[in-house]
Amino acid sequence: MLLVENVTKSFGDFLAVHEASLRVDKGDLVAVIGPNGAGKTTLFNLICGQLQPDKGRITFKEEDIIALPPHRICRRGIARSFQIANIFPRLSVFRNVQVSVLSQQRKSTILFRPAQTIAVKETRDILDDVGLADKATDVAGSLSHGDQRILEIAIALGNQPELIILDEPTAGMSPEETAGTMALVRRLAEDRGLTILFCEHDMDVVFDVASSIMVMRHGETIIQGSPETVRANAEVQQAYLGGAA
Amino acid sequence: MEWSETYTAAALGSHLLVGLSRAMILFIVTSGLSFVLGVLRVPNVAHGSLYMIGAFAAFSIVNVLGGGAPAFWAALLLAPLIVAAVSLVAERALFCHLYEREHLMLLLFTFALMLILGDLVKMVWGADYRSIMAPEFLRGSVPVFGSPFPKYNLFLLVVGPVVAVGLWLFSSRTRIGKIARAAAVDREMVGAVGINVSWVFAFAFVLGCFLAGLGGALVAPTVSVTLGMDHDIIIEAFLIVTIGGLGNMWGAMVGSLIFGVTQSFGVLFWPQFAIVFPYVAVVIVLTLRPKGLLKSVW
Amino acid sequence: MRQAIINKNSLLVSAGILIVLACLPLVLPKFYVYVLALIFVTALLAMSLNMVVGHGGMYQFHHGVFYGIGAYTLALMLTKTSLPAWLGFAAAPVCSALAGVLIGLFCVRLTKLYFGMLQISLGSLVWAIAFRWYALTGGDDGIHGVPIPDGIASLIPSYYFILFLLAASLAVMYLILKSPFGNTLRAVRDNPERCEAVGINVRFHQLVAIAIATFFAGLAGTLFVVVEGSVFPDLLFWVLSLEVFIMCLLGGWFTFAGPVLGAAIIVALRTFAGVYTEYWTLILGVILILLIFFLPEGVMGFLEEKFKARTQTTSER
Repeated sequence: MLLVENVTKSFGDFLAVHEASLRVDKGDLVAVIGPNGAGKTTLFNLICGQLQPDKGRITFKEEDIIALPPHRICRRGIARSFQIANIFPRLSVFRNVQVSVLSQQRKSTILFRPAQTIAVKETRDILDDVGLADKATDVAGSLSHGDQRILEIAIALGNQPELIILDEPTAGMSPEETAGTMALVRRLAEDRGLTILFCEHDMDVVFDVASSIMVMRHGETIIQGSPETVRANAEVQQAYLGGAA
Repeated sequence: MEWSETYTAAALGSHLLVGLSRAMILFIVTSGLSFVLGVLRVPNVAHGSLYMIGAFAAFSIVNVLGGGAPAFWAALLLAPLIVAAVSLVAERALFCHLYEREHLMLLLFTFALMLILGDLVKMVWGADYRSIMAPEFLRGSVPVFGSPFPKYNLFLLVVGPVVAVGLWLFSSRTRIGKIARAAAVDREMVGAVGINVSWVFAFAFVLGCFLAGLGGALVAPTVSVTLGMDHDIIIEAFLIVTIGGLGNMWGAMVGSLIFGVTQSFGVLFWPQFAIVFPYVAVVIVLTLRPKGLLKSVW
Repeated sequence: MRQAIINKNSLLVSAGILIVLACLPLVLPKFYVYVLALIFVTALLAMSLNMVVGHGGMYQFHHGVFYGIGAYTLALMLTKTSLPAWLGFAAAPVCSALAGVLIGLFCVRLTKLYFGMLQISLGSLVWAIAFRWYALTGGDDGIHGVPIPDGIASLIPSYYFILFLLAASLAVMYLILKSPFGNTLRAVRDNPERCEAVGINVRFHQLVAIAIATFFAGLAGTLFVVVEGSVFPDLLFWVLSLEVFIMCLLGGWFTFAGPVLGAAIIVALRTFAGVYTEYWTLILGVILILLIFFLPEGVMGFLEEKFKARTQTTSER
């Protein structure tokens, strides 16, 4: 479904992503792992259009999406969450999710009808699904860190994406919250038939959940394959898992 | 032919020189604004008021000292210092407490300062038109391109580059200048190496205001010194730093030259709309390069 | 749990205020009626600015230009053409909105301060032209003695005309700010990057907001002509724009009616302080500094905060 081929991006002299490749098939749960500064977030920004690659190809459903602005890429069916909770802090939880639902339904330019009568059901369904329904009227900025991360995912769901990209969905969470969030992610993938691309620090989580793993180091792709293949790869063991194993 | 009569090489040449000398004043004022913009990231709306204070202070100093060359030099030195003192008080008493706040608040503070300083000038100097004479040796004109050209404008053409080179030496060779430039690019880094960022900001602000005062003192002999001159200069200065690239000193120079010269040729070609020409130049530049001609430090 | 679009209390309060304002000319001396009319005009201008600044998060530093364009358009149509007056009232806001979109097209490519600086630049160009084009705009003299249509030429009818248009405009703006568009606009203000990632065309939404805001600014401009019967280039000067900015700050950016309150305070203060002192701008400057230091959310924002805190504590009990 998503194909990234030999993508390169540099900032000045610094090669953030170098000849990275990635393949995500429909229904996959793909994890990108790698040490800090390996270029995971940059890669996601390249896919979603926040950044433009210097070289390489990115196609989604056989169509080139390079050079499209972020909002157009989103309309093709890719939604994302950000590493740092990237929500609308002054709006209520309900409004946060409603923003993306309205955008998805192309109703964000309706001028003369009250917003509280539009896209309510869809928004409520998402909030029920992720378990934020009882906090719907809270101001988003006042939520706990863990809830803000869940809200982040809920906003992405509002776009009814086919592919959802999660940038470290459990960053800064306690082990219990992490487990809950990953269970949620897995359930969403099953219930909604979502394809998921995520990056994550916790190796146990990754090998537990992912159906395919891509390993990055210094902006380069070392390998992509099933968890077993990756675990068995000598280079990965030496470069990355070595310390932990 | 009418064309060749009006637009002789001599006329073009002297308008070019007038434009350039105007550009020097604009540069001195704008470089100060740009310096503050670069380091503090605040467009100082009160900059024009400080320029006006500089002009009024120069008027008073020349009057008190009774004219002549020494009075003129004293005014050129003391007026900017007075302006710097005013700005230092405003910065330490009020402005410095806002550095952690939203940028818009800093901007609005400088607007408040403009409103207050404008009325203070009215209290101190009144609403009359004032003027001062340049010292004897800078009065009158000399022939340039076969037409008379005011000596004072030639003087400005010398002072402008001197200030530019001085500023450049200052910011690239002295320690405090380097720190200020570093703070413009990355203030956290400057704070991290143990430098008091608040004082760097204070210094940059005062230096910028000093330049406004210097511009005011320099312009005083060529215009009537009056209330409202703050409003005119500040908008021009804003436009210049925008087309030059925010915070870039050489950008301030390039912008000033564009502004001064287009205005001067505007007077020649279509006097009624002379003030429109520079604005059109600004719009053209910004359409082609929305972030200004030279690299902004932001 | 869902609230009605406007709750009963605020509807009653608004209706009450409207009735009081409608009765005031019966009891007030003419001068006060005139000041009130001026407040209404300025309030509409401030409200329109707040739509882009408070709700849209854009640094629209030179909003006064569109006020001026509306005023000049009406004044020119009434003095230089024999077209019916209502056409002028309709054309002026449209011209403002067109100018707003034109200038906005350049500005929305940029963010924050660059947006603001470019806005001031382009606005000043408009000012410079109006200031110098004597043949059309009367240059720095402006246009005086604009023939206002008979029905609204005298003070009292013009008061009701302005009050009606202000109330109608506020209702429309309220509706817009409560609409999906209004919500999306606030989302764009808070986090444009996130908005792009959920498929929102940020620049387009900003442009729509600018178009609406400049339309109402132009309408305010026409009402200014009705009150004063004249136009002059100061309407397009940047100092006025920043004053309107202060009104929004004073009333409260993030509230709906805050700018109305801000406009009322500033215009009233200016009018009455002007009687006693020639140093009005000094007072304005001091007010602004006090605001920045002590009331950054504005008067209305401060009151709302207080009110919210109280209702929360009572509901917890």
